[in-house]
Amino acid sequence: MSVPPTTSERTSSAETGRARSVSARLRGLDPRAYVVYIAFLLILVFFAITLSDDGFLSSDNLLNIVKQAAPISVMAVATVFVLSAGEIDLSIGSVVACSALVAAVVLRDVGLVAGIAAGLGTGVAVGLVNGVFVTLLRLPSFLVTLATMGLVSGLSRAITDLESVAVTDQTFVNVFGTGDVGRVSSLILWTLGAVVVGHFVYRHRRFGAHVLATGDNAAAARVTGIRVDRVKLAVLVLSATAAALAGLLYAGRLQGANYNLGSSDLLLVIAAVVIGGTRLFGGSGSVVGALVGSLIMGMLNNGLILSGLSASEQLIAQGVLLLLAISLTLREPKA
Amino acid sequence: MRTHRLIATLATGAAMLGLAACGGSSSSDDGGGGGGSAGPAPIKASKTVGETTGPNGEKATPTSALELSDSEIEKVKAGNYTAALTWHQSSDFTTAVTAGAKDEFAKLGITIVATTNANFDPGKQKNDIETVLAKKPSVMLSLPVDPVTTASAYRAANEAGTKLVLLSNVPKGFTQGKDYVTVVTDDLFQMGKQAADALAAAIGGEGKVAYFFHDASYYVTNQRDQAFKKTIETNYPKIEIVAEEGIADPNKAQDQANAILLRNPDLNGLYVTFSQPPAEGVLGALRNSGNTKAKLVSLDLDEPLALDMARGGNVTALVTDKAYELGQAMAKSAAYGLLNKKAPPFIVAPATTVTKDNLTQGYEESLHEAPPKSVLDAAK
Repeated sequence: MSVPPTTSERTSSAETGRARSVSARLRGLDPRAYVVYIAFLLILVFFAITLSDDGFLSSDNLLNIVKQAAPISVMAVATVFVLSAGEIDLSIGSVVACSALVAAVVLRDVGLVAGIAAGLGTGVAVGLVNGVFVTLLRLPSFLVTLATMGLVSGLSRAITDLESVAVTDQTFVNVFGTGDVGRVSSLILWTLGAVVVGHFVYRHRRFGAHVLATGDNAAAARVTGIRVDRVKLAVLVLSATAAALAGLLYAGRLQGANYNLGSSDLLLVIAAVVIGGTRLFGGSGSVVGALVGSLIMGMLNNGLILSGLSASEQLIAQGVLLLLAISLTLREPKA
Repeated sequence: MRTHRLIATLATGAAMLGLAACGGSSSSDDGGGGGGSAGPAPIKASKTVGETTGPNGEKATPTSALELSDSEIEKVKAGNYTAALTWHQSSDFTTAVTAGAKDEFAKLGITIVATTNANFDPGKQKNDIETVLAKKPSVMLSLPVDPVTTASAYRAANEAGTKLVLLSNVPKGFTQGKDYVTVVTDDLFQMGKQAADALAAAIGGEGKVAYFFHDASYYVTNQRDQAFKKTIETNYPKIEIVAEEGIADPNKAQDQANAILLRNPDLNGLYVTFSQPPAEGVLGALRNSGNTKAKLVSLDLDEPLALDMARGGNVTALVTDKAYELGQAMAKSAAYGLLNKKAPPFIVAPATTVTKDNLTQGYEESLHEAPPKSVLDAAK
């Protein structure tokens, strides 16, 4: 779907050069990179019309969608890096529960700073294990993270013997959950922070370029001097750490941690990232797209609940709408 | 192609994750033993060695004690109230509870405006509750996945003025009468106990049994499992529990059962925490090993198990709750809340033992429907 250069053809000769370059740039854009925004708007308008009497458009509800999506959005940002590097991290859902529980226990027994550090440290540690197996032993990240997914879930169950742990520290709850800075929810700030930093690093720093080069063609990247293994290790640590942060966000918002947290998150995150225009096999992606993808998933869930459908009907409708959305946006070009 | 492989593997990973999150459904009806037995001996109710009590030790009130006068019903009707159902999972059980609530709400002129399923994830349940509050429901029926981590969500419902009627579980720090109308549950202890009595009758009161319990922190299954074990240990000294196997992933029960059967080829009986999928898996393992002798009891109605029972296979009894009645009781309790009428603090629906002999009655009492045709045909 490129833009036809009809307008520029009629411009005066003086303007021709500039106009051509604009049209060339437009043609150079990958439509899939922005169609996600159109899908977002379409779904928003669809629900705004069909659910106009059901509170969908109330500012509380719209803010809720963004707040509820915060853990998914944060993980989605990191997953853009992982997929772009040609890897995958299946352990993120289990890291969510583990880091939340570790943070809650240490917070209760030691203190605030130690709790946060321990929670995030859990993520770093899992990421390092994933990364070391993938790079040193040259194992596929799919299998390594599948294994650590089970391992970390088991640990989460064992840490407190399936008991939930309450979080009573008000500072923690404010910072990671229900607090506001000015009039903006801390959950929204975490989301924005992750997206802004993620986007900047992905698009404007050398690391982002290295990640893309690694995912595009690891052998070629290695020849050009990129330390491919280091890149892979870094994205896996980043991903697990983001999952740990998501765990803290859950612990803050729910004022407690439980071994089932995050159990429905893995596919949501991957769906958000891929809908947002990141290729599942590496080489290209978009951090902002991933945020929009995450909001689309949250909005779908929210709108379908408000529409009063039964739980089964919601699943069916979600499947149909997702198929429609990806058919419109993610069709692979003909080979 | 790499793409396809990746997607296939992803799906596998997702399935595994889903399994980890999966849990049991529920069930029950009291009344000392239910119907007849498919086993050699009739089921006799043994001594009750415990009871289902409320979260703060409240004594149980039967669902039949809930009553609304005509004028009260008219008053509720005039309010044009709305209800939201925020469940812990989707299953036969929640479907039957929903059906009971829906029918009762219809009588009361209350409209259901939203239904959700949290898949046992407390984070998702909190999101669900926050989302449905946008519709400002007058009442909410819910089973909290976890008392600790979902409490803040129910607090928000309180603050929004939504009356809360709970199923089986109470959020931490909540006071009956102030924060919620009442909690309704199945008679969990009776369910486990009746399963023990049914299995004991089927194996003639002695022998070796395997005990497959739900290895998850879930009030409903935990209470039932413990009641089974306690009843066997206290009332049946000649029955020995030779294997205790925790089911963390209900879809892997068949593998676990294979191992147990290898190690204990002379088992007389097996108890499985709930029907679908773990008891189906255990039945599969029995069939694989050609074991037609060992008797199986489980909790909740389920077509493959009921079919095996109707055919005189390994399954000897399924103990179930009156899920439909639970739903009705929750809806009635909601009306109590809306009328500011004092509700009993802890309401219990009884358990029923379903065997080959009372299949039709059992299905009607529990799910408010006829048994599946396959089961009826086999029972002829």
